[in-house]
Amino acid sequence: MTDEAGCGGEARMRVDGGFAHLPGRASDSCVPLERLPGDERAELTRLADAAGFFDCAPEPAVARPDARTYTIGLTIDGRSRDLQVAEPIRDPALAALVSTVRRITRERGGV
Amino acid sequence: MCTLTHRHAIHCILPPYILSRIAEHGSPELRGKAIRALLVDPSIRMVRATTAGPVIGSVARLRSAAGNVLTPSPLRTIRDAKGKPEAPGATVVRREGEAPTGDPAVDEAYDGLGATFALYWEAYQRDSIDDAGLPLDATVHYDQDYDNAFWDGTQMVFGDGDGELFNRFTLALDVIGHELTHGVTEREAGLAYFNQSGALNESISDVFGSLVKQKALGQDAAAADWLIGEGLFTPKVKGSALRSMKAPGTAYDDPVLGKDPQPAHMDDFVRTNQDNGGVHINSGIPNRAFYLAATAIGGNAWDRAGTIWYNALLDPNVRANTDFAGFARVTVDVAGRLYGAGSADATAVGAAWSDVGVS
Ligand SMILES: [Zn+2]
Ligand SMILES: [Zn+2]
Repeated sequence: MTDEAGCGGEARMRVDGGFAHLPGRASDSCVPLERLPGDERAELTRLADAAGFFDCAPEPAVARPDARTYTIGLTIDGRSRDLQVAEPIRDPALAALVSTVRRITRERGGV
Repeated sequence: MCTLTHRHAIHCILPPYILSRIAEHGSPELRGKAIRALLVDPSIRMVRATTAGPVIGSVARLRSAAGNVLTPSPLRTIRDAKGKPEAPGATVVRREGEAPTGDPAVDEAYDGLGATFALYWEAYQRDSIDDAGLPLDATVHYDQDYDNAFWDGTQMVFGDGDGELFNRFTLALDVIGHELTHGVTEREAGLAYFNQSGALNESISDVFGSLVKQKALGQDAAAADWLIGEGLFTPKVKGSALRSMKAPGTAYDDPVLGKDPQPAHMDDFVRTNQDNGGVHINSGIPNRAFYLAATAIGGNAWDRAGTIWYNALLDPNVRANTDFAGFARVTVDVAGRLYGAGSADATAVGAAWSDVGVS
């Protein structure tokens, strides 16, 4: 949380665990939002707000067998947060957000 | 620029190894919260209540023994999430007794649930996951490019894989047996899913997942390949499967995925914060112990070796925090009770554990 000024907006994702957990693949992936087309950026903001990503209350839970844990981070318009979310993700809005950030970071990721 | 070093220390959902760390080292306020979270989770029961699942199980067993119930049969429902991250999926696509749909993911899930039900009933007289006829539900086509399958406490969830490295997860019958076995373990020993008890939990699922496949194929211990997840990798991956119970650490060696990290012996036990403390890594050690015991005993692995492991899982001395050595002692005790303390079976089980450095 040192350099928010240099943080021009980004999406971060780390996937951990799962039946096919492969240590070699469990690395952080990060996408500067300027790499995204405008409509995708707007969709990401909409999904984050729908999920209450920036203000959801902490809710400790324990990961289930073979469920994955996602460390999802977003910095958008001066708001920034990193959360750990464990499967099963019962809230459809949060599940949609995690799925979208996973796709964005996979398709356009790179450190 | 992306700077992955900045972390905003708020966590909505904490995996258990982090909760345990906070419980040990956090501020008094945080420690209280973490300990409460660990205690309310049903999978972290340090002592199993005598009124838990097994009572239902023994009632069911008595009823079966009295012969006043029909032979149980599975009650399967397969749903389709159609690429959305939703489980249960919105559409029911195959119910019990219905004909194949032609969708391989649907039909493989249906058949895999049936083969798992058959192993538990025919080999161990267990009527479904809870030994009380629990209906078996599965959701297929979960999310997009989803490289996973898991048991969410009420149902199986299967992804189609990314097509690049992974095929659809229903392709491997042992994966289906593996996931449903997590449901069995949850209701019996309740092994906590982190560190050694978590790796033991994973190993129990690999053991019975492999036995589901061996029984379906009619392979004895000598004929079985003892691989877990064969067929999951696409041809682009240099590897035969995800894990090998016979030779942990040799299942794959690929430029992209790296090398299979499983140890085969306690000397190589891996300490890590990833993967709930390496539950899918250190499971190689008890996996190889089962392989050694089953091949030494000979015949069908689900018969004597499987019966020993199954009864150990039900034994009151196996609890949430049981480690490899604790489980090893119970398997030797059980083998002695079932087949005689000095029997070849009990000797084989003891030797298998000492061969992997567990004593
Ligand atoms: Zn930041
Ligand atoms: Zn598992």
